[in-house]
Amino acid sequence: MLMSTLPDWVGPVARYMATDGLKGTARIGGIALVSSALIGVLLGTLLTIRFLPLQSLIRLYIEVWRGLPIIVTIFLIYFALPSLSPHLRFDAFTAAAIGLSLWGSAQMAEATRGAVQSIPREQHEAASALGFGWVGRHAYVILPQALRRLLPPGVSLLVNILQNTTLAGVLGGAELLGTAQRSVERLGAPQPTGLLGHPHAFEIYGAVLVVFFVISFPLTRLAAYLERRLV
Amino acid sequence: MLAVAFEIRKFLSDNWDVLLHALLRTLEVSAIAIVGAFFIGAILGAARAHRIPVVSQVAAAYVEVIRNTPILVQIFFIFFALPELGLKLDTFTVAWLAVMVWGGAFNTENWRAGFEAVPHRFREAGLALGFSRLATFFNVTLPIGGRIALPATINTYIAVLKNTALLYVIAYPELTTTALQINALTLQTRETFFTLGVTYLALVWALSGLIRLVESRLAIPETR
Repeated sequence: MLMSTLPDWVGPVARYMATDGLKGTARIGGIALVSSALIGVLLGTLLTIRFLPLQSLIRLYIEVWRGLPIIVTIFLIYFALPSLSPHLRFDAFTAAAIGLSLWGSAQMAEATRGAVQSIPREQHEAASALGFGWVGRHAYVILPQALRRLLPPGVSLLVNILQNTTLAGVLGGAELLGTAQRSVERLGAPQPTGLLGHPHAFEIYGAVLVVFFVISFPLTRLAAYLERRLV
Repeated sequence: MLAVAFEIRKFLSDNWDVLLHALLRTLEVSAIAIVGAFFIGAILGAARAHRIPVVSQVAAAYVEVIRNTPILVQIFFIFFALPELGLKLDTFTVAWLAVMVWGGAFNTENWRAGFEAVPHRFREAGLALGFSRLATFFNVTLPIGGRIALPATINTYIAVLKNTALLYVIAYPELTTTALQINALTLQTRETFFTLGVTYLALVWALSGLIRLVESRLAIPETR
């Protein structure tokens, strides 16, 4: 009923963006979120060890990947790495996922360091007294408590990663913005009928804004709620 | 290692004028956007913190829309979609406008949080001393709240600078766009991206260093 009142071009474009586009966004976002969380928590925990060479190395990692604009990091991976070795050639999706993981893990490492250091010293001492070594102490006592405090920044990170998956579209990857861009270009090109096309950029990019808002808004609300509840 | 260093020197001496112009454009767009974001943030943040009717609600909607959508899509929207409504802006205008609108939204939140962190009794003391509401704002809330908001606002300015790299998608000839053009022309990929990365890191790290300096200079005397 509703579909029949819409113009002809809407159906195929919406289907393309919903199936290919959203799926691509979810895939890059999912990979980047999981690897950011794993690498970030590991590096952040190691950063609390007072051993200067290790600390400086992790610091450098954090400051470099947080300092570079993510698009520049992704360009580095996509354009510059293949010139160092032909094995380091990645497609747009992988390059974007790696770039986002580097940035996200740097963010997460910084947050983890803060969360681990916020756990009272008595907890470390009590765990040591019970016979836990460094690994056991962190795995069973410190990190389970620190992870609670990492939940709000983790949700914020998810929002940021999802929004930045659009960078894959810049390299031609078929995520939400990439599929939107292709649709606009296809509709705007001269049509088989010989008539000049209409790109419908306003409707299509407007729809992308709406979709991202609908996904992000509840998540930012959730992050704010968790912040109030857990801290 | 030495060979690489030499190639970099040769690369820089071949391309320094183009790169310098690109760097200046990055800094120009950033500066305009940062100044704009400063005022947008201070004014709308004050409206939010003081719950000024209508302005406060409009500012809240603006902040939520910008913060919950990717800046890249915002740039696409301003550049490609608005002309369909008859609002055609040139590339330079889109460039500074897009990053300024983004920075303004984040800065509104920074300033709001700063103003709201000013203890209530300070404002009451100002009003009790006979200051008008406006004078209380300029003499009490702004100097104290501004200092509280300062670290967060400078982080937003750094993010604005980094976001100018996204202007590549509208082919505005700033640093990133220019670097990719040089790469396409010279195929000196390693040198190009090394220079690009180092330049951004130098800018961002210098600005972060500046934060700490400004913070310690502007700290409220009793807490210094």
